[in-house]
Amino acid sequence: MKQTVYKGLTLLMLSAMLALTACGSGGSNKGESNAPGDNGDSNAPVKLKIMWQGADIRHQAMLKTQEVYTSKNPSVTFSPEYMAWDDYWKKLPTLAASHSLPDVLHMDGAYIQEYATRGTLEDLSDIDLTGVIDEKTLENLKIGGKLYGIPISRNAQGMAFNKEALEAAGIELPKKDWTWDEYFDFARNARAKLPDGVYPISDTDTWDFYQYYQMSFGKGSIIQEEGKKFNLDKELFMKFYGIHAEFREKKIVPPADMVSSFKENDPQADPMASGKVMTRGATVGSVGALEQLMPGKIDVVNLPVGPEGGGWAQPTIFLSVSTDAKHKDAAKAFIKWFVTDKAAGETYGTNFGIPIYDEIYTALEPTLAPKEKLGKKLYDTSIDKAMPFSPAAAGWTEWIDNYKKTMDAVMFGQKSIEEAYNEISKSGNAIAEKSGK
Amino acid sequence: MLLKGDEREMKVEAVHKPAAAKLRLAKKKVKGTNDNNLAGYIFISPWLLGFLLLTAWPIIQSFYLSFTEYSLLEAPTWTGTDNYANIFSSDNDFKTSLKVTFLFVLFSVPLKLFFSLMVAMLLNKSLKGMNLYRTAIYFPSLIGGSIAVSALWRNMFNLNGYFNHVLAWFGIEGVGWITNPHTSLGTLILLNTWQFGSTMVIFLAGLKQIPNELYESASVDGASKVRKFFHITLPMLSPVMFFNLVLGIIGSFQMFTSAFIITQGGPINSTYMYALFLYDKAFKHYQMGYASALAWILLVIVALMTAINFLVSRYWVFYETDGGKQK
Amino acid sequence: MNKTLRNNPVTRHLLLIVFSLLMLYPVIWWVGASLKTTAEMSSPSIWPSTPMWENYTKGWQFSPEFTFGRFFGNTLLMEFWNVLGGVLTSAIVAYGFARLNFKFRGALFSILLLTMMLPGQVTIVPQYILYNKLQLMDSYIPLVLPHFFGGGAFFIFLLVQFIRGIPRELDEAAKIDGASVYGIFFRIVLPLIKPSLVTVAIFTFIWSWDDFFAQMLYLNSVGKFTVGLALRMYVDQFEIQWGRLLAMSLLSVLPSVVLFFFAQKHFVEGIATTGLKG
Repeated sequence: MKQTVYKGLTLLMLSAMLALTACGSGGSNKGESNAPGDNGDSNAPVKLKIMWQGADIRHQAMLKTQEVYTSKNPSVTFSPEYMAWDDYWKKLPTLAASHSLPDVLHMDGAYIQEYATRGTLEDLSDIDLTGVIDEKTLENLKIGGKLYGIPISRNAQGMAFNKEALEAAGIELPKKDWTWDEYFDFARNARAKLPDGVYPISDTDTWDFYQYYQMSFGKGSIIQEEGKKFNLDKELFMKFYGIHAEFREKKIVPPADMVSSFKENDPQADPMASGKVMTRGATVGSVGALEQLMPGKIDVVNLPVGPEGGGWAQPTIFLSVSTDAKHKDAAKAFIKWFVTDKAAGETYGTNFGIPIYDEIYTALEPTLAPKEKLGKKLYDTSIDKAMPFSPAAAGWTEWIDNYKKTMDAVMFGQKSIEEAYNEISKSGNAIAEKSGK
Repeated sequence: MLLKGDEREMKVEAVHKPAAAKLRLAKKKVKGTNDNNLAGYIFISPWLLGFLLLTAWPIIQSFYLSFTEYSLLEAPTWTGTDNYANIFSSDNDFKTSLKVTFLFVLFSVPLKLFFSLMVAMLLNKSLKGMNLYRTAIYFPSLIGGSIAVSALWRNMFNLNGYFNHVLAWFGIEGVGWITNPHTSLGTLILLNTWQFGSTMVIFLAGLKQIPNELYESASVDGASKVRKFFHITLPMLSPVMFFNLVLGIIGSFQMFTSAFIITQGGPINSTYMYALFLYDKAFKHYQMGYASALAWILLVIVALMTAINFLVSRYWVFYETDGGKQK
Repeated sequence: MNKTLRNNPVTRHLLLIVFSLLMLYPVIWWVGASLKTTAEMSSPSIWPSTPMWENYTKGWQFSPEFTFGRFFGNTLLMEFWNVLGGVLTSAIVAYGFARLNFKFRGALFSILLLTMMLPGQVTIVPQYILYNKLQLMDSYIPLVLPHFFGGGAFFIFLLVQFIRGIPRELDEAAKIDGASVYGIFFRIVLPLIKPSLVTVAIFTFIWSWDDFFAQMLYLNSVGKFTVGLALRMYVDQFEIQWGRLLAMSLLSVLPSVVLFFFAQKHFVEGIATTGLKG
């Protein structure tokens, strides 16, 4: 009796596993077999799976754009899936793991390297965009010689400052193309004129802000050759963080426990919106959010420049086609329409930023809201001196986190700058070496 | 209203006792209940089926994945015991997060047990409006990991938070409790203790079942309140305490939500709980294989702690009905 | 301390009121904050200068297509099945483990406990792949189904403890009367643990309300979203709509509060009558 139950169970368990493994090996090629509407009959109905992230206004605009597309191409309908930023990037890896990424998906400069390098995105170089997006921009966006996302808007990195408060305190406002020395002098001078508890600039602990400094002095980006080369300039590193250490002592930057409570664009915790700091880094997308938190109070300037320039101006929002896609051609056709068609542009407007295609943008220009105008201003001030956008390569996310943690330790006085440099370059070199293999 | 609980207890007693008495005799005749194999498996079949069909496979998979490099975006590649070797030889985050987690367990489990027991004793009285008090006191546990909690906790413990305002009345200058590496773990322990509701409910149940006669006869003997607590309440409550302790430890070792939404492990890893470290590896740094290895290491640790708990329980957990017998 | 003073109901009430208020301070803050404008959110005052009831009305009117009514409906429907599944099956399984002696009982019970100890983050992807192969995406089945298989290790363990507290003599008595193990379960054990099943119901309800990660993975269309998922739509990369978020998340805990309030009597006394013995 006991024996039979045991045997029965073992059998049951084994057969269950076998069945599952069978499913496992059978399931993967299912995706390619049933792809109606692709290659050939262009009128067969196609249902495109599409996914993007954002806030509700963007969702509504995106849904309308799809409606417009369907009205013009009745054979194509959509199965949309949308959510906010955090959830989107949480869900995507699991979809990739189960080979169920949608046909069309929203990509971001911060993530596209990982997804492209690891083979989840289609090369879109064959979409003809002559006269829509200039060749140089597209060339810059290529990863390993291939174009994995079609840019849909323009972005740039600059700085926002609290114009109202600075003027009230009689402080000279930052000027376009200010140098790093002028930036630091601005901070020193403003300190004396600002009340206690309010700071001219914030402290910094992220790798990208230091990278702007290193690059503007012509020492190149930190992560090079698709992650195979690591390049951290010791002299500049020591100097940059040395100045910040001095500022910490002189209370030109806020104390460490205040800095680590900052969370940009959060009304309670944004360094500027909370009134604690007078300046902060901003992109075209984020400056609009900041403007809404402090309407009419802020203005923008480009990042401090060095001999090589300062900041960057480049698209960071893309539409991509996944390798799991069942309707690749239909997906590409939709993306091309999305970027080039004026009716499309009119529908989604500035919900993804400043549209990449000038003709679409010019049509929208008269209708811009103040926050969008400010974004455009940031873009325009940044573009002359902009340096190439230098994202982290695939496999570097952990190093980025560790950079911040190490610099936080410096901020809290638990590590010296030199120790931090050694740790950061040690782990950076290790990853570069691993990527080189 | 006031007596309702006691009344019900008595009713149940009345139902049980004669039946029990009637058949205490018969007990001797029916001996050994060992041929229940089929019935046993029929009863546990819902769980067993679910385990075999839905749970076992993912568990086996994760064990297999712990020997691979798996980015989720690409297929896994076999790397043997590399993950385990790296974890033990050179991963500082592993050491840090393990230390943080042990500290968290060490403080939050006893604190929560103590606090919820005290509150359960306070609420274990027949009093008008007790329903309302219980609901109010249970409330923090209801909000769980809602996003609102992060805003709330910041509002209370930030530099210009409520807590520092209170300190200011006493002339004490506060710090940014959440964003200071020395105090951030403490605020998470506090939050965890504040959400003591489920533990408290189980304690409350345990208290309710202690027969009143025990206290009455102790009172006749002139025992003090303290004495009654240590000689009646605690021993009688020990099985419940044990239950809460075991589940408290299992739960605390996997504590994730509050560290994730409030501190993200910072500042400088001071709240980098093991489960958060594991999550980062899996979903942020595209190292699911490594994360799986971390998970199996945690499983061994928690299983060991639980086993020790079961062993030690023989010396302090008092079982009334089974005469000290376990399982 | 004076004994009569300490046992005085008035003192007790005062103590409880003060303690309740301390526990509820965050709720008071929450109500205040949910009525603030975004600009006011950073001010330390608890109450806004002019309450923004709009946070509630506009928050409820989530998007042109869906209101929070839809999300509450979805969540309650899912909860109904979760609770039903947990209550129906956890007692059956627990009875098997607590009362019946069968081969490998100890080993299987250890496995049951072990399943609680492996962090869910590493099984969730294989699990997702499994459900994906069964074509169960964008449905509540992956969320509900596990509850029908014993309702989870925690509840089985909890009920095992309850059932162990029921005097064995009762079983034996029924057995003499000719009852089978099934008869004993349905006629003796189940009625006695009925109140403690209320505990299972409440905890299941509250905990699955919070479990956003699985919901996020398995539900794709916004029309099927739960309250928890819909709330997360307010937290965008550049813009967090705190007012609406706080207003709606305050509403979202109400069902649990109401349920707890009305059910607590049953489960607090429920566990008491059956006893919780190891």
